[in-house]
Amino acid sequence: MDKSGTDMNKIRSLASEFRKGWTGYLFIAPGYLAFIIFMLAPILFAISLSFYKASFDINARQFVGFQQYTLLLKDSVFKRALINTIGYVFVIVPTTVIISLIVAFLIDPLGGKTQAFFRGAFYIPGVAGGVVLSVVYLWIFNPTYGLLNYLLGQAGMKPVMWLATAPYSFLAVCAVVLTFTIGQPVILFQAGLAGISQDILDAATVDGANALQKVLSIRLPLLRPVLLFVLATQTIQVFQLWEVIYMLTGGGPYNTSTSLVFLIFQTAFINSNYGKASAIGVILMFIIMVVTFIQLRFWRNSDI
Amino acid sequence: MSVQTSTVITRQEALSLAIEKTTRLLSYFLLIILAFTFLLPLYWMFTGSFKLQQVTMSVPPEFFPTHPTFENWVQLFNGPWPIWRWVFNSVTVSLLTVVLVLIVSSLTGYGFGKKKFPGSNILFVILLSTMFLPNQVILIPLFLLVRAWHLTSSTLGTYFAMAMPLISSPFGIFLIKQFCSSIPDELIDAARIDGASEWGVFTRIMLPLLKPALAALAIFTFNQAWNYFMWQLVIAQNKFQYTIPVGVSIISRTPSAGKMITDIGLNMAGGSFGALFMIAFFIAFQQYFIKGITFGAVKG
Repeated sequence: MDKSGTDMNKIRSLASEFRKGWTGYLFIAPGYLAFIIFMLAPILFAISLSFYKASFDINARQFVGFQQYTLLLKDSVFKRALINTIGYVFVIVPTTVIISLIVAFLIDPLGGKTQAFFRGAFYIPGVAGGVVLSVVYLWIFNPTYGLLNYLLGQAGMKPVMWLATAPYSFLAVCAVVLTFTIGQPVILFQAGLAGISQDILDAATVDGANALQKVLSIRLPLLRPVLLFVLATQTIQVFQLWEVIYMLTGGGPYNTSTSLVFLIFQTAFINSNYGKASAIGVILMFIIMVVTFIQLRFWRNSDI
Repeated sequence: MSVQTSTVITRQEALSLAIEKTTRLLSYFLLIILAFTFLLPLYWMFTGSFKLQQVTMSVPPEFFPTHPTFENWVQLFNGPWPIWRWVFNSVTVSLLTVVLVLIVSSLTGYGFGKKKFPGSNILFVILLSTMFLPNQVILIPLFLLVRAWHLTSSTLGTYFAMAMPLISSPFGIFLIKQFCSSIPDELIDAARIDGASEWGVFTRIMLPLLKPALAALAIFTFNQAWNYFMWQLVIAQNKFQYTIPVGVSIISRTPSAGKMITDIGLNMAGGSFGALFMIAFFIAFQQYFIKGITFGAVKG
């Protein structure tokens, strides 16, 4: 009697589990289907394409094994793009972090409206977008009538062919990207600073800490989780840099400003070399996965 | 004696007050210089749109248009470019993306956040693992799909094609799942006891509670879809299919009629026109932008 009762309960709980599960599947079904069709399947297809020689007529593709990858290892443009992309990350990400940290500390003590104004001022170039900003930078960087060379001339410096000579085209791209990447970190750091309890800071004041000591030994360490989040998102973002290059330099001169994603764009959508472009994409995907994994480990460790 | 001590303290206080005031002034000064530097390109673009071609090429440059002209704007609106069509395209594509992302994210996020079913963990991990992947990887297969389905032969198909890579937003699903997890189960149980159906629980209990998260996600997605340049550039086949960013980029690459050089004033008008929409949008929905950015990163 007692035993059959528990059996009945088990069956009942299993049935209810199934019923609950069933509705769960129903709720995720449309979204998961969209995810499979528009994300998962394309990723898998791109990986498989990287083992093919595939051009405009995709049905005539030929399986070539790892040939795309071995060819890329010998490809000087690809190597250049890889080095440049890493260079962009190493120049832009730290600069973005430092400037946005300074700005966040500067706007933190400001009152509501003034703070909102400055926060907005640093975020607005980002919402305008890289394409729109590039249009005005094309003019600013113009060697003969651009604003930048004029200002440099006033300071006694020689004019520079910003977009047509190395390493200036690389630096020009960095400068443009900087104008629209700092908005997000400023907001994040400022929110992080606002989240630090006033009690801790007051206690430090009582103990005789000055403003600089408070920044270095209390506020910066407490910002660590936000800092790691910013580093991770900015790194991923800069790894995917391309539109400024497309607008300003076309990767030139002599591929000194090209990037991996710009190379993917050229290879896939201008030269219709889908196999090679997919291989570059898979390599980029792999690099980003490794970098994100390393950063996430740091992140987890810092939470303890 | 005591009077003397008090004056000494006042002097020290005055000194520290002066230091504080100077630092505050200095930090204001630094902040204004930084803000000026970062906004200078936008200023240069807006003022440049009111300058004549010879003025835009003059050395030294004019820091403020002394003889403002509307010629560039007239040319932009009455020229060969259907720019209002671009606005319509950009708005439609962005709104379509937002609607699809909200539907997908709220349903799927709720499913993962509040429902227990076999395999939910592994399914969610697969989804999450694609969150940090470079989006460009999927564009090649999706492009082949668009071509095979002839999506760009119709206007509606073009809009759908442009929204395609952003529909299944792992970030959106993750955000809604987190938000759902923070809602107490008691609310759902109470509604069930009151006789609400599964669908009723979702639409009448969860959706209203999810409103702030959905609003932030909507704003984030709108901005992302608006500036999703590479894909729009690849999909748009003719000038009637361009979006604002694509149109602006094409203007900057097209020498104006009869001249061998690009028309700077026209370019600045085009850029300003494109920037104005998103800037107005940002100012109108600023708090949602900030909510969307700080979500998940800052415990608050």
